[in-house]
Amino acid sequence: MESDDFVLPGTELGFAEEFMPGKGTYEDDGKVYSAMTGTLKIDMKERKIIVEPRTNIIPEPKVGDIVIGKILDVKQQFGVVRVIRLLGNPRELPDTIGTIHISRAKSSYVQDISMEFSGGDIVKAKVVDIKRHPISLGTVEKDLGIIKAYCSKCNIALELENGKLKCPNCSSIESRKCSSDYGNGNV
Amino acid sequence: MKVGEPEEFIIDGKRLDGRAPDELRPIKIEAGVLERADGSCYLEWGGNKVLAACYGPREIHPKHEARSDRAALRTYYRMAPFSVNDRKRPGPDRRSVELSKVIRNTLESVVFLHLFPMTAIDVYIEILQAQAGTRCAGITAASVAIADAGIPMKELIPSCASGKIDGKVVVDLFDTEDNYGEADVPVAIIPRTGEIALLQMDGNLTQEEFEEALNLAVKGCKDVYEKQKEALMKRYGGE
Repeated sequence: MESDDFVLPGTELGFAEEFMPGKGTYEDDGKVYSAMTGTLKIDMKERKIIVEPRTNIIPEPKVGDIVIGKILDVKQQFGVVRVIRLLGNPRELPDTIGTIHISRAKSSYVQDISMEFSGGDIVKAKVVDIKRHPISLGTVEKDLGIIKAYCSKCNIALELENGKLKCPNCSSIESRKCSSDYGNGNV
Repeated sequence: MKVGEPEEFIIDGKRLDGRAPDELRPIKIEAGVLERADGSCYLEWGGNKVLAACYGPREIHPKHEARSDRAALRTYYRMAPFSVNDRKRPGPDRRSVELSKVIRNTLESVVFLHLFPMTAIDVYIEILQAQAGTRCAGITAASVAIADAGIPMKELIPSCASGKIDGKVVVDLFDTEDNYGEADVPVAIIPRTGEIALLQMDGNLTQEEFEEALNLAVKGCKDVYEKQKEALMKRYGGE
């Protein structure tokens, strides 16, 4: 097999002594095989084989990506987010948890993070670090933050009125770190 | 003799539909036919018409089905009400629950589930038209759909049945042969290693006949495997 060849799952790519099996490949009984449908890439310098899929791919968050998630919990120092999708990609991420640290919630000083996020809210955030699990997210930019929030008393979607979040049912005012496109449904 | 049963299944070395004993029905496979599914496949195998769709890895509900060490592969084999001569009563029944299970077990042997713990991979197999051998058609279509979804897997998994009619072992029974024949042996293999991923038997065969049937089915699987590869190559452009 040569670099740029089209490979299918199960195609033999080389010997395990010869190449390191990278992404999209697997090793079995001393040989390297493809696990994906795509293009073979051989790195002769690193002696590494990978397969770049040509199919619909399972999304993975990278540093700098904008993601859509749901706030699961709010702790003293950070909010916990279930990262659901990358912005603009309809395919769901497989079981990814992220955290938004209090220092990355917004550009100004945050006294109490529960004033910025609340469980059940939908958030748009930027991926800051993926080295550790859970991954780190930030909502400092103007267009990042909560894009849909729910009333803490009646669990009804809050509406943006004169820059404030108001519950249409009980008229209570709540505070969040809102994205500039709150309520637009731009996901 | 039952109503509708033919007197002879093999006339002048030809079967009732004109095939030779070791000849498969014509197979047509197309990958990536559904827009909203993560991966999909449409398969026509003689009179069988099967649509397979694959979703995931995605969040699992109900949560108790989640596995901390691997993805839960869930398969749903379903026959459309209009898929057979008499209306098939919709909804799960004993047969489709069993077929969902054997298809799941077959697919589990090739998909790298340990890469996606706490998630679900859902495979829906819809039988639009049935003419015997739908479980084999279902497995064949499902494995192409999983590959089309970009889920890492060891290999595509082809499946093919063989059986016995008029005391003779033949490959890939169609409905008349299946209904009035003497035996049916569905087989699925992992082509590279030759491992058997599915083996069932309905009816009676002697040991020699069984071995002949298994060999014929494995040979059929290899032909099906070529068709699966062609389908993915056509969709994603070989060269």
